[in-house]
Amino acid sequence: MTINFNAFSFARLTLRSQGIECVNVDRELRDGMTIQDFIDELGFEAGEIEAVFLNGTIRPKSTVLHDGDRVALLPPGTPGSYRLILGIKAMNDQETSPE
Amino acid sequence: MADKIYRVRMNDLSFSVEDVPKEWLGLGGRGLTSTIVAAEVDPECHPLGPNNKMVFAPGLLSGTAAANSGRTSLGAKSPLTGGIKESNSGGTSAGIMAKLGVKALIIEGLPEEDDTFYHIHVTKEHVTIEPIPELVGKENFEVLDTMLERYGRKVAVFSIGTPGEQRMLISNISVKDPQGKIRSLGRGGLGAVMGSKKIKVITVDAGDSKETYLADAATFRAANKAFTKALKENPISGEGLPAFGTDILVNIINEAGGLPSMNFRYGTSENAEELSGEHVAENIQERGGKTTHGCHAGCVIQCSQVYNDKDGNYVTSGFEYEMIWAFGANYGIDDIDTIAHIDHIMDDIGVDAIETGVTFGVAAEGGMLPFGDGEAVIKILTEEIPNGTPTGRVIGSGAGNVGKLYGVVRVPVVKNQGMPAYEPRAIKGQGITYVTTPMGADHTAGYAVATNILNSGGHIDPLKKEGQVELSRNLQIASAAIDSTGMCIFVAFPALDDPACLPALIDMINARFGAELTGDDVTNLGKNILKLEHAFNLKAGLGKADDRIPEFMKYETLPPHDAIWDFTNEEIDAFWDF
Ligand code: SF4
Repeated sequence: MTINFNAFSFARLTLRSQGIECVNVDRELRDGMTIQDFIDELGFEAGEIEAVFLNGTIRPKSTVLHDGDRVALLPPGTPGSYRLILGIKAMNDQETSPE
Repeated sequence: MADKIYRVRMNDLSFSVEDVPKEWLGLGGRGLTSTIVAAEVDPECHPLGPNNKMVFAPGLLSGTAAANSGRTSLGAKSPLTGGIKESNSGGTSAGIMAKLGVKALIIEGLPEEDDTFYHIHVTKEHVTIEPIPELVGKENFEVLDTMLERYGRKVAVFSIGTPGEQRMLISNISVKDPQGKIRSLGRGGLGAVMGSKKIKVITVDAGDSKETYLADAATFRAANKAFTKALKENPISGEGLPAFGTDILVNIINEAGGLPSMNFRYGTSENAEELSGEHVAENIQERGGKTTHGCHAGCVIQCSQVYNDKDGNYVTSGFEYEMIWAFGANYGIDDIDTIAHIDHIMDDIGVDAIETGVTFGVAAEGGMLPFGDGEAVIKILTEEIPNGTPTGRVIGSGAGNVGKLYGVVRVPVVKNQGMPAYEPRAIKGQGITYVTTPMGADHTAGYAVATNILNSGGHIDPLKKEGQVELSRNLQIASAAIDSTGMCIFVAFPALDDPACLPALIDMINARFGAELTGDDVTNLGKNILKLEHAFNLKAGLGKADDRIPEFMKYETLPPHDAIWDFTNEEIDAFWDF
């Protein structure tokens, strides 16, 4: 499958330093991959990506990707109340809290 | 020495220095300005007439060594919204006023009707009020430089440019920053109030006044250390803001489909990458600007920036998300350097970035000029507005009025004030803040967060109504409290992750005044301020029907999420149930 992919803020700097294109690029992924699989494939460690937009909304990292999806990776550091208002913090709390 | 109220009467050019009434002792910043405006200004008065007052107040912690405590609040009845207004800004003024012991500077009355403009100079227990004909018709940078030459660099300066002199509704008030550049008391057309009182410039000189008095210096120092540590170690205030500034939001809000574009027609912009914080930071690095810059001396976060042109020459500082959005996404200019140039012009003449950008969007919608035409904007800002031509006055009257003049239906205002950079249909929590805040469509009203009142447990979907009214209410209560401390709003976010942050802030307030406030007291302070401001607006004639979103947002869906405004009136009005 092919997804469209963006990385913001520090994530962009990290990927660029490794020569990985990350501004509005198409990328081939194996069928059945989740967002987390994709983050791992790019080499990010735990905590480096706080939240992920999937087709314009913040979604759990366990979500399975599909052909044509649009993915944007967001590292920690979203200013203002937007971390709350966009649901970034709530999703992050949910994902990092021990069950 | 105890703090004093300095009062200037423009009707007879006199002043008095008064003791602080007991009820005002524990207040500062927005809490104090709103309390004084509510107590002394007739809500039904004309905002540009003799009965409006301007109240300048430093925050509770301003003038101390507390990190990020240098905000000055200005309160008045707004000529733009017709309601109460508090606008706050960084710059050097809060620290200087606090050191001089100025709890608040109240300016009332109107001078005789002639062409005279005045300069108010505040020193220890004294105020001079003198005509300043040589600066009439001049813009802010010239006024600022003249004052710094006269008094040295340590003086605080508030000034208006020609739009303020002409009482235009988009005008703001400039505040000197530590580098001799400009920050602004931006929203609500308060520059017009200063213009109506015929005041061109206010300077405050603390002379050799020492550090602000602390009731318990040792406790204060320890708390400030903990507070500063929390700010520096947080990923937002410690890394994200210094590296990219507030403009990092362009890509994020665009991705969320909430970046208002082409006068609030779309939720994403084709220009997002050009406008993005990542791109601005790249330019700054290549051209030798600065990604970190503080708007006042005690800032440890430094979200502000210094932006240079392609040849490495200084263009502007404080190049913020709201400005870049207003002219880039909303009005459609696809070149970041043109927007930086416009930012500098707007600092110089003294107009609010948000109101002016939204006004150009509505003007383009009405056919007055094309979308995205940077040259046309520059011409209006540098020729038409300073000269007060009919075209200049039309743009100078703000988005709501331009919409009426051109028969435009898509006019993104609440209480006649232009909406900031977040689409209320796609980011509904922000929309609730726009309609309910007593300030008119304002984003900073609900910008800050304090954990003790924030139930952030449940999942928030910005496209859905659930939980939004409560979220907005908690954000607004926290913001009202933070705005009273003199702290910049960004101190509030580390508090979400670091439980040491907020108690340290409260410890500092207690150590400064010898008080025993708790977290609940601070929450109650925020609630009281909001209620007081709301009551003023009700008396001024701004009722429930004014707490509403523009109608087009209820029947036009916003791409890409096809989002719509679907709150009922009852749901909105429930905001005030606290
Ligand atoms: S973080 Fe930004 S707004 Fe706050 S004090 Fe520093 S420069 Fe000013």
